[in-house]
Amino acid sequence: MKKLSKKALNKSFLNWFYGHLTCFSQEHMQTFGYMLAMLPILQDLYETNEEQTEKMQTYTAFFNTEPQVGSVVVGITAGMEEARANGEPVDGETINGIRAGLMGPLAGIGDSLVVGTVIPILLGIALSLSGGGSPLGAIFYILVWNIGMFLIMRLLYFKGYEMGGKAVEFLVGEKANAIREAIVMIGTMVIGGVTASWVSISTAFKMVGSNGETIVDLQSTLDTVYPHILSALFVLLCWWLMSKKKMSPIVVMLLLVVIAFVGVLVGFFDPGLSY
Amino acid sequence: MTINVFQAALLGLCACLSSMPGMGGTTFGNYTLGRPLVAGLVVGLILGNVPMGIFLGAAVQLVYIALVTPGGTVSADVRAISYIGIPLAMLYVSAAGLDPATSAAQDMAVTLASTVGTLGTVLFYGTATVNLVWQHIGWRNVEKGNLKSLYLVDMVFPWISHILCSFIPTFIICYFGSNMVQLIQSYLPMDGIIMKTLFTVGSLLPAVGVAILLKQVVTSPKDFLTFFFGFTLCGCMGLNLIGCAIVAGFFALIKYQISCAALRPATAGAASGDDDDEEDI
Repeated sequence: MKKLSKKALNKSFLNWFYGHLTCFSQEHMQTFGYMLAMLPILQDLYETNEEQTEKMQTYTAFFNTEPQVGSVVVGITAGMEEARANGEPVDGETINGIRAGLMGPLAGIGDSLVVGTVIPILLGIALSLSGGGSPLGAIFYILVWNIGMFLIMRLLYFKGYEMGGKAVEFLVGEKANAIREAIVMIGTMVIGGVTASWVSISTAFKMVGSNGETIVDLQSTLDTVYPHILSALFVLLCWWLMSKKKMSPIVVMLLLVVIAFVGVLVGFFDPGLSY
Repeated sequence: MTINVFQAALLGLCACLSSMPGMGGTTFGNYTLGRPLVAGLVVGLILGNVPMGIFLGAAVQLVYIALVTPGGTVSADVRAISYIGIPLAMLYVSAAGLDPATSAAQDMAVTLASTVGTLGTVLFYGTATVNLVWQHIGWRNVEKGNLKSLYLVDMVFPWISHILCSFIPTFIICYFGSNMVQLIQSYLPMDGIIMKTLFTVGSLLPAVGVAILLKQVVTSPKDFLTFFFGFTLCGCMGLNLIGCAIVAGFFALIKYQISCAALRPATAGAASGDDDDEEDI
């Protein structure tokens, strides 16, 4: 009965924690990070280089997910690899099926929870601690985010390892779907809150009457209709262009440059810059 | 304020570590060193003026708080925002004699950082393209059974990509930065149309970041209602993000309990009507 040593697991986790995106390309995003994370596992389980090389073929398949939450997948495959080494009915296809099946759902959780919720909240707190040029906010963010994330990723990895293939039931079963949808809902709501709090698009458009009084102040009119409506409209526009018109973010940005230029020309946008 | 060779090299090193995909790893690199607020502290330490770094870094952070790069799509490059934009802004602000606590200085920082951040996306694609070479070497070695070379491929060779696409551009731009900001100052007045456009672009760009996130989470039109619920909480009702997250958590709990209640009769029926194998699938 083969059992992975604590040392191999720790090394595998650290390889993932640090190396999941260091050799990124558009073609194979986290594939190399994944192979490197599996290397200590394979070296621990299989004696010969031939065997290790053969098993490594399983992990040459494309992999990309939200890397913080994705830590659990690496743990799961470590557990499954151990099962395979012990002659249990696990083959490369099973492992890759699970990897491919988890990538998407976990990216959804990770992007909405980690990037859309946790980071904006931590940065929001950090910003409020930065008043007067104080370094306190930045130090707070560095400590809380790094220590917290290291521990969470480690926990996910080892939970994944302990449960092995059984974790899949927890991650994509019906109950897991319910949990995932609930988490994504928190994310979607907080992203809405982030938009209202941190995206600030406003217009400077004013119509001035002949005797100098303002007839229309577009921004305050819009604010009475629905506060921050312009920020929401621009987000919707960008979303529509990217998901319905299949534009790449770069093209959308170039379009925004054009919109900004025309907007400044006609007086719709005026940041009111001065020395 | 000027930037000497040693300082420019340190900024270049930070650019290598902080980019996405960077040599500092995602957690400590991209999501820590790459955040403009943290960069404000780091650049402030390197250039010897921490309060100014924090003031300008915090202003830039406001714009990029929702900066994300899911699925390898970028709307702005963190290394350029943080380690080219913020140093240039500090040079500019001290050359123009502005007080970093004023909005004039902070607006300038945002304009500069978002401009170089947008142009810097080129560095992102450059790094990813050079990495293809190392991956090619990697595939060959994996085939040959030379597995230990994966360490070289994943953790050492990409340094070369970063020397080319992070270190050198950052070093050169920062080192010659004081000449550059003098040019900007004399040819691009703050109230001119180009600066106004650049600044406006800076305020529009976060919308792209949020939209990229939304693209990940919105699967049906009703999800927009959820989005606008959160938007309304913060925008109309004045909650901060922690408050918003707590309300969201409450509704998520209700949603979860409803889904579970809907699941229960179905699983109970399956368990009683069929044998246990059904549940293991």
